[in-house]
Formats: sequence, C-alpha cells, structure tokens
Amino acid sequence: MVKKLYWMISKDLLSECRSLRVWPAMLLLGVVVALMFAMQADLPPERLRQIVGGLLWLTIFFAGTLALDRSFAAEREDGCWEGLLSYPVSPTCVYLAKLAVNVVALAALECVLIPLFAILTDVPLLAHPGPIVAVAVLGNLGIAAAGTLLAAVVNTGRQSSYLLSLLVLPAVVPLVLGAAEATRLAVEHDFGPSWWRWVQLLAAFAIIFITAGIVLFEYAVEE
Amino acid sequence: MPETASGRGFVGYLGYAAVAVMVAAAIAAICLLAPTEETMGDAQRIVYIHVAVAWMGLACFIFMAVAGGIYLARRDLAWDHWSRAALEIGWLCCSLTLITGSLWAHAAWNTWWTWDPRLTTAFVLWAMYSAALVLRSGVDDPHRQARMGAIVAIVGALDVPLVVMATRWFRGVHPQSPHMEPAMRVVLGISVVCFTVFFTTLLLLRRSQLRIADMLEDMECGGLPPLSETAGDFPRVLEG
Repeated sequence: MVKKLYWMISKDLLSECRSLRVWPAMLLLGVVVALMFAMQADLPPERLRQIVGGLLWLTIFFAGTLALDRSFAAEREDGCWEGLLSYPVSPTCVYLAKLAVNVVALAALECVLIPLFAILTDVPLLAHPGPIVAVAVLGNLGIAAAGTLLAAVVNTGRQSSYLLSLLVLPAVVPLVLGAAEATRLAVEHDFGPSWWRWVQLLAAFAIIFITAGIVLFEYAVEE
Repeated sequence: MPETASGRGFVGYLGYAAVAVMVAAAIAAICLLAPTEETMGDAQRIVYIHVAVAWMGLACFIFMAVAGGIYLARRDLAWDHWSRAALEIGWLCCSLTLITGSLWAHAAWNTWWTWDPRLTTAFVLWAMYSAALVLRSGVDDPHRQARMGAIVAIVGALDVPLVVMATRWFRGVHPQSPHMEPAMRVVLGISVVCFTVFFTTLLLLRRSQLRIADMLEDMECGGLPPLSETAGDFPRVLEG
C-alpha cells in the first residue's frame, strides 16, 4: 500500500513538474489576490492585525481551488482515468495519493503567500513560526481533504470548473474561520485556551474529512 | 374524479383540504391569537413562521443525508427520490428561513444581516443546498446523480456541527431562549406543527412526482415496470 501510494504521488508530482499545468497559475493567482487585498486593506496596524488572517486564508482557499479542481483533470483529459481505476489499487489509495499531492500544492502556495502577506501588510506573521506552521498544516489538510473528495464528485459532471468553489467554500467555512482566528491570535502572541480551541477545531475538521474521504471516495469515482 | 399521485380520489383531496385548513389555522393563530409583543410590536410575529421553516430546513437536511446514505448502501433509486425531494423542500425552507430571519433581524437589531452563529449556519446550509441542486442538474444518469447528491448530503451533515461550533465561538447575538408568554408558546407550537405537516405533504408529493417521472422514463426506454408497482401511483387519466 505504502509503495503504491509513493508511486502514485511521484507520478502526479513528476507530471506536474514536467508539464507545469496548474501550479504556476495557482501561485500567480495567489500573488495577484494577495496584492489586491493588501492594496485595499489600507488600515491602521492594529486593525490590519485583526483581518490579515482572514485575508490570508481566503487567498489560500481561492488560489488553492485551482489545484483542487485540476486534481483529476489530467487523467480525464488524457484518457487515463479508466486506466487509473483499473490499476490494482484501492480507491482509498487513489484518494490518499491525490490528497497528498494537493497538500504539497497548498504547502507551496502557503510558502509563498505567508511571507508575501507579512511583507505587504507589515504584520509579523512569521514572528512565531511554530504556531503559524501548525495552523497552516492543519488548515492545509482540511482544505485538501474536503476539496479532493468534492473535486472527485464534481469531476464527473459537466460544470466542474465553477462548481467546485461553490461546493467547497460552504463546506470549509468552519475551517477558514478557525484558521483565520488562530492566525490572528498567533499574530497577537495570544496562545491561551482560545488559540488551542481553534487549533482543535482545525484538527477535528481534518480528521473528519480525511475519514469521510476514505469512506466515500469509492462512491464518488464509481463509473 | 381523477386519482391523485399520493392518495385515491376523494380521500386524497380531503387530505389536501385538511392541510390547507391547518395552514390557514396557523396563519390565523399567528395574526389573531398571538399577543402583540411589547417592544417589537407586530414584527415579532415573523418568529412563528421563522422557527417553523428553520426547523423544517434542518430536518430536511438530516433526512436528505440519511436517505442518501441508505441509497449508497442499497443502490435503490427510491431512496434517492426521498433524498432529492428533501433537498428541494429543504432549499425552499432554508430560503424562507434566511428571508424571515433577515426581516426579523431588521426589526429587532436594526440590521438586515449579522454574522450570528445560527444565521451563519442557515446561510451555509442554504449554500450547500443550492450547490447540490446545481450539481444534480448537470448530470443525466440517475444513479450518478444519486451518488453525487448522497455524498454532498453526507459531507454537509458532517459539516453542520463544525459550522455551529465555529460560529458560536466566533461571535453570537442570537437569542438563546427568548422570553415568551404562554399564549405565544402555544401559537409557536401550533405554527410548528401545521407548517411541518404542510412541508411534509409537499415532500411526499414531490417524492411521488419523482417516482412517477422515473417510471415514465423507464416506460419510454422500453422497460415496462410491473403493473403492481404502477397501480397505486398513476392517475387514471394516464391509463385512458
């Protein structure tokens, strides 16, 4: 299982590195949205500290949706989908591989956007890297878990490109809210019970949606 | 007199008449029986409808997820008819919840919208119902449509408790247990019961309609269903 998972993840990452189909567009969209948010958010530093978490996570979500939407597009467009399904691996393994690739894509996006937001808004997002990384990892897992499952669902329809955001955004409302609040508290050096509560919510979201993905993915990709 | 989809002739119409009388009675109780609230005045009467449709919206959402789960386990389209009917009626109730909630909020808090936990939850539910409706409309194969609907319904049901928790921690101004006079509680009870019966009737009718539409499609494709299955559902007009 681990070996098959490794090969499937390598296949997707190698394919992306060679073709550069999605990641450059995703990173560029993230940078453009970040610039536009920073341009509009011309506020006093105290006020900016309160909203920068929300702006950051909305940017990650919207740019990340590009990667989520294209999770299954390459196989569909190149006619390899049936081949992938007939490959002797369980649907769970396919889901976990796609999830891992999306986590890597979102991590790359966060590596660009978090320093960029810190520079553009002058908010010390990286003053405490540990808590910010913890929030980013959990938020990343949650968005990728829900997004990969729902991308598999909409991928069989006619309107996948615009419908995914419509489906994923309401589903990740608690996650975006939790990540934004945890980021705000981290920026304000407040690591009390309130911060832990949001981190626990992020962890619960990730666990619930990874489990749901493992259970439901085989129904989503059934032909 | 033609037979109806969910009942037989006179008895069916009598049932619909009873539901209509119940809704009329609920509206009359709201307008005439419920005492006028001191601070909000007549605008407070919105709450009797708001609570009824909000409860029905949430119930439909849970029912949709349960029916969707049973469909995934049994692969019987009959359960998808229930799930789809619940989706459509739930969407209607959720839309009404948002409209009545907004009207009430304007009268009570002098704002059309606030990011209160329950309002946010209602909005998230509405967005999910709407996305599920759009998703279903893009797929022709009934089983594929049923699978997609079931997965979205289950994901939504898993998400709702997290939305409630997150928005409650974030901020909350919604009245937790509003003070009500005994007469107000009686009217609220009447309203909830009558509107629940009304929307349940709509759900049953829509489910029947979906079932008949499926049967007709099967007949068009050449696969005639057994007579025993169709006898109770088709109007006599069709038999002619």
